[in-house]
Amino acid sequence: MRRFLLRRLVLALVTLFLLSIIVFVSAQVLPGNVARAILGPFADQRAVTALNKELGADRPLVVRYGTWVGGFVQGDLGESFSTRRPVWEVIKPALINSAKLAALAFVLVVPLGILGGVIAALREGRVTDRLISIGGLSATATPEFVWAVVVILVLALWLKVLPVTAAFPAGSGPLVQIRYLLLPAICLVFVLFGYIARMARAGTIEALGADYTRTAILKGLSQRQVLTRHVLRNSLLPTIAVIATQAGYLIGGLVVLEVIFNYQGIGQILFRAAEQKDFPLLQSAVLLVGLVYLLATLAADILYSILNPRIRLQGES
Amino acid sequence: MGMSIPLLSFIAAACGGGGETPAPSGGGSNNAKPQAGGALRTGIGVQAGALDPVTVNFEAGLTVLGQSGEYLAWSDKNLELQPRIAESWKPNGDASVWTFKIRQGVKFHDGTPLTAEDVATSINLHADPDNGSNALSVFGTVLKKGAAQATDDQTVKVELEAPNGNFPYLVSSDNYNLIILPKTYDGDWEKTFIGTGPWKLDKYTPEVSVTFTKNPDYWDSSRQPVADTSEIKFYAEEQAKVLGLQGGEVDIINNFSVVGGKALLTDPTILVLEVESSAHRQIHMRTDIPPFNDKRVRQAMALLMDRDALVQGLWEDKASLGNDSPLASVFLSTDTSVEQRALDVAQAKQLLADAGAEDISVELRGWDGFEMPDLAAVIKNQAQQAGISVQLNITNATTYYGESVFGESPWLDSSFGITEYGHRGVPNVTLDAPLTSNGVWNSAHFKNKTYDGLVADYVAALDLQNQKKFSSKMQELLLDEVPIMFLYFYFHLGATKENVTGVEKTGMGHIDLTKTGFTG
Repeated sequence: MRRFLLRRLVLALVTLFLLSIIVFVSAQVLPGNVARAILGPFADQRAVTALNKELGADRPLVVRYGTWVGGFVQGDLGESFSTRRPVWEVIKPALINSAKLAALAFVLVVPLGILGGVIAALREGRVTDRLISIGGLSATATPEFVWAVVVILVLALWLKVLPVTAAFPAGSGPLVQIRYLLLPAICLVFVLFGYIARMARAGTIEALGADYTRTAILKGLSQRQVLTRHVLRNSLLPTIAVIATQAGYLIGGLVVLEVIFNYQGIGQILFRAAEQKDFPLLQSAVLLVGLVYLLATLAADILYSILNPRIRLQGES
Repeated sequence: MGMSIPLLSFIAAACGGGGETPAPSGGGSNNAKPQAGGALRTGIGVQAGALDPVTVNFEAGLTVLGQSGEYLAWSDKNLELQPRIAESWKPNGDASVWTFKIRQGVKFHDGTPLTAEDVATSINLHADPDNGSNALSVFGTVLKKGAAQATDDQTVKVELEAPNGNFPYLVSSDNYNLIILPKTYDGDWEKTFIGTGPWKLDKYTPEVSVTFTKNPDYWDSSRQPVADTSEIKFYAEEQAKVLGLQGGEVDIINNFSVVGGKALLTDPTILVLEVESSAHRQIHMRTDIPPFNDKRVRQAMALLMDRDALVQGLWEDKASLGNDSPLASVFLSTDTSVEQRALDVAQAKQLLADAGAEDISVELRGWDGFEMPDLAAVIKNQAQQAGISVQLNITNATTYYGESVFGESPWLDSSFGITEYGHRGVPNVTLDAPLTSNGVWNSAHFKNKTYDGLVADYVAALDLQNQKKFSSKMQELLLDEVPIMFLYFYFHLGATKENVTGVEKTGMGHIDLTKTGFTG
């Protein structure tokens, strides 16, 4: 197990290193002028030149790369060009916000998706199965901003049971925060339910037909025992992989939802940094989102190996 | 943020109350007396960068600067200057030196008394090209580094590069970067929001909100805030802001467009605030290369534009007609007796025939913001009435503006393009930069010595009567030459819940909330 983990960790670090190079090069090839992006198209050219100098954006690419890498390895992410604050100060609250929304969405959608998938599998071919499968697929195929429109319209403006935006007041308690985050989280439930339920259904159907399930039934275990001890443990393997791949999306890929619900998450930070050519912010934010993807995948690998010892043993051999 | 989520307009419209009766409107909120106290919540646009008085160039930034900061003078909704930090001002004989008498007894939020030296340092901060100030686009040809001097405790003298009769406007709230800062200011405004204004910082969460409380030491007894606190919330998207107002998350929004907030115009629970402004779109036609190097072709294009239909269709009548000069009817110096250009397809066809230009094909450049893509489509259709073929090339703003210098900018290099210009309290900048021979924004490449002379005369003129005289000549000249089409000047729109009163807006986007409160 230790060797398996070590190998996964080294692979993750190599991926992160390669990502850092890609991120830096991609950020630099974005067209445009940093100070011009900050001061606007009508700013005096002398002001643009002065600001570029002040920000260090007029230095050669190699020097900027050296400064960035040097700072990054020492934990200094630099200063954001547009906000003029340390990058970590900008990213940290956004990352926390994104994590809160992602966590709430996960807490809602994972049990619902698995439950839906298992029920559909147990009722395979019946009306319940079709409702869950087709309904889930339709919900997933509908873009998230459409769900945003629907939930705002119904829950916030007509029924007035939830706030129209997700920007909870500063200093509010966990319950208030959850109330504000419910609308975007519900949208994410709609978007992700289909994926998870579909995988859980397929895994469950496969596990239900397996020899070990038949053996468990024949040896007289109750349906609940068969399901929890044998079917679920095996059927969840592909579902875990799907859930892990959604973690990165939930942290860094929610630009549209964050804009609609006026929520300061990492998605908005990324979008604005790219728009304003705020390279220090953009580079660090992309790397951190990449890190989240890697960690989620790593966590999935570990969980996978715990549930399925064959994978762990293959890794060690 | 520049993202467009049209479906959200649908929601806002669906929740517009369904009323057919237009909401009350007209430059101010309801006239009831506000109750003292309460917590105001105002929604504004996206915080697109640092809240730094030197670099701010976005509306949300200027709105916040104007809460805790103060200017030498306030340019009100009627474009008249109200004294603030400056008690009074006077020019020398030819308006090349202006002297400001600085108000005594004013304190910064940290308790430090404001001095004439603070004022001089603030002006010089923006006039120095090495500081990268956004205000340099106004000061560039007007002031040199170190132009302002405190001659004694109460007096600041500013020496200009050339006579300028409107100079006080250039150091007023119209030049929104110019809040008066302490002479020790070191560039970290977001930590303190220091100023001398009626509101002082209570709490700031970047990109989310800023809350102000009353400044107990505020000098002006007539402008003590009615409400206890004022929270300003940033919204990344206009529709989210509109929904925030409709959903009760905020009580006031400082700005919305007709395109994005149409639902508010018919919502009976909303009061719409409108202020006439000089904000507009310029449609330039390059005067030095075909097809627009012939004046008759430019005139024909201008005659093909149905301005009434544009104002009604794109702006729901929340705009005034443009007459192909930057001199909007809202400016005090504009000659409103100059004949308004109107749609005349027959004359346009005749002019094109006279010019031998009946088969023109031209590309129209622009970018995908505000109502501009719709405007481009209308121009294309209206030009077709006389057989002019217009191909649209609408990109994002970064592509359109390029490097913002000649030779590296579709904005400045294209034959035909649409550019957005914000409000100004006096037309000095828009008469000069986009239209004079050496103008840095002269996308029409218009070179006319008579016009250049008239602009210089106008800028130097001290009294309104003389300014009107030169305005009239410029309006006639531009109406004839048409280097740029000015089709409309749109109003600055804001909105409040119906129980809010006392909001004062300006065409620039400032919002004065000192007299704002709830009626019940």
